[in-house]
Amino acid sequence: MPVLKVKRDYMPLKKAILNILEDLADNEKELLQKKALDEAILSSIGEGLVVVDKEGKITYVNQAFEQMVGWKSAEVIGKYVVEVVPRESEKGEVVEFNERILTKVLSGEIVMADLTNPFYYICKNKSRFPASSIVTPIILNNEIIGVVETFRDITKEKEIDKTKTEFVSLASHQLRTPLSTINWYTEMLLAGDVGKLNPEQEKYLKEVYRGNQRMVSLVNALLSVSRMDLGTFTFELEQTDVTQLVQNVVNDQKPQIEAKGIKTSFDFETKFPIVQSDPKVLRIIFENLLSNSVKYTPDRGKIKLTLSQNLKNKTFTFSISDTGYGIPENQQNRIFSKLFRADNVRQRDTEGTGLGLYIVKAVVDNSGGKVWFESKEDKGTIFHVEFPISINKEANKLFK
Amino acid sequence: MNTIPVRHIILIIEDEVSLRNALRDKFSREGFFVISANDGETGLSTALKEQPHVILLDVVMPKMDGISMLKKLRLENEWGKNVPVILLTNLGADDEKVMKEIKEDKSAYYLVKSDWPINDLIAKIREILS
Repeated sequence: MPVLKVKRDYMPLKKAILNILEDLADNEKELLQKKALDEAILSSIGEGLVVVDKEGKITYVNQAFEQMVGWKSAEVIGKYVVEVVPRESEKGEVVEFNERILTKVLSGEIVMADLTNPFYYICKNKSRFPASSIVTPIILNNEIIGVVETFRDITKEKEIDKTKTEFVSLASHQLRTPLSTINWYTEMLLAGDVGKLNPEQEKYLKEVYRGNQRMVSLVNALLSVSRMDLGTFTFELEQTDVTQLVQNVVNDQKPQIEAKGIKTSFDFETKFPIVQSDPKVLRIIFENLLSNSVKYTPDRGKIKLTLSQNLKNKTFTFSISDTGYGIPENQQNRIFSKLFRADNVRQRDTEGTGLGLYIVKAVVDNSGGKVWFESKEDKGTIFHVEFPISINKEANKLFK
Repeated sequence: MNTIPVRHIILIIEDEVSLRNALRDKFSREGFFVISANDGETGLSTALKEQPHVILLDVVMPKMDGISMLKKLRLENEWGKNVPVILLTNLGADDEKVMKEIKEDKSAYYLVKSDWPINDLIAKIREILS
């Protein structure tokens, strides 16, 4: 039987396959080029960049990372980032694994940047530098598969900030001398030391004195801020009678309270203990909170001061509530910022500095306490300050 | 028999002319016998020579600062060891340093010039002298 042979022409198929292969090679080349370009871009970013997988292990670092931290890419890939680059607070305390922003972001937590609390990264050679970082999750198919962190060295910014703070401190100190001169001479004139003043002279001179007192308060506030920023604000613990201290602060501000017809009331826990604290710091806090309440409460309003202790977590809480103007809701998150003043009080009182609450927050934070508030516009505000106590038993016996 | 009231001698050591004059005028009017010096070195020699009842001492001064002068004064003799000294500061950032220095010194006091009305200063000194 004759065998029929089909003559097939393989040439077009071969050509098609060759074309496909050529296209694939081109695509691969293009992909490689794109990858190389992406890597070049990542590598050239001036800020340190580190990418970690969902376990927190490093998958990529750029050149800036290598230069800033001192570790080469090959030495760190596959290692836990928190072990390679420990983070420290300003005081040199290592930030724990669970407290690292990166860990929080990996677990899906939304973290707000806290620019008031600088941190330091520890390099391979154990030196450290202040850094500012942005940590963002890498999300694929609605799942966090890792985190990318960019950071930069802010040594220069910190130096500039320090110089500025030192300048403020020096300028404030220099201002205090002429302010004292104005104060003392004005007091002597007002006291009639060099002759009786006519009513108009007395009125004008009182304005001079009041203006100067305002300047003294401003300079004192600026000095307190610069001391905190420079870290020269020291805490000296001593046995402190908090109830007496609060009473003293209220007495000091009695003229302003009475001038506005404000009613004050007290709710102090009975047998409130003598605490181990810094009276100077507590006074700053009480004075600022009370003067705010007085300033921003309309005539014939009410202010209530409360003192209570919580033996469980060894803290005490000072609260001050008022029936004042309140803090607008959209500005509440900025109320502790330096020089910030809410719009509704800026119109009513032109003499505030916007430093009081910043100082309160800074001293409370530095003492291991916390401060928070609730406020409703045109209804009032309540501020709470919680402080740790180390109750001194000996003093307590004496007090009771 | 009437006793003659003691006229207290006060030594003011302050380099700022305007402040020194304000203090001198006020204390004279209040019946004190005022002597003054404008630096720590002159202040120390004047103090040892005149032995005032009380000393008002500025902290930041040329030649010898207030803290150094106070330390030297306390080592000089029995009178120097006990004479009341009120340190006048405007230091701000270094107030704590001054407080630490005088913490153990029972006859030393400190006050911030711009925070103290002059009449309160007089009252404080009368209280110390009584």
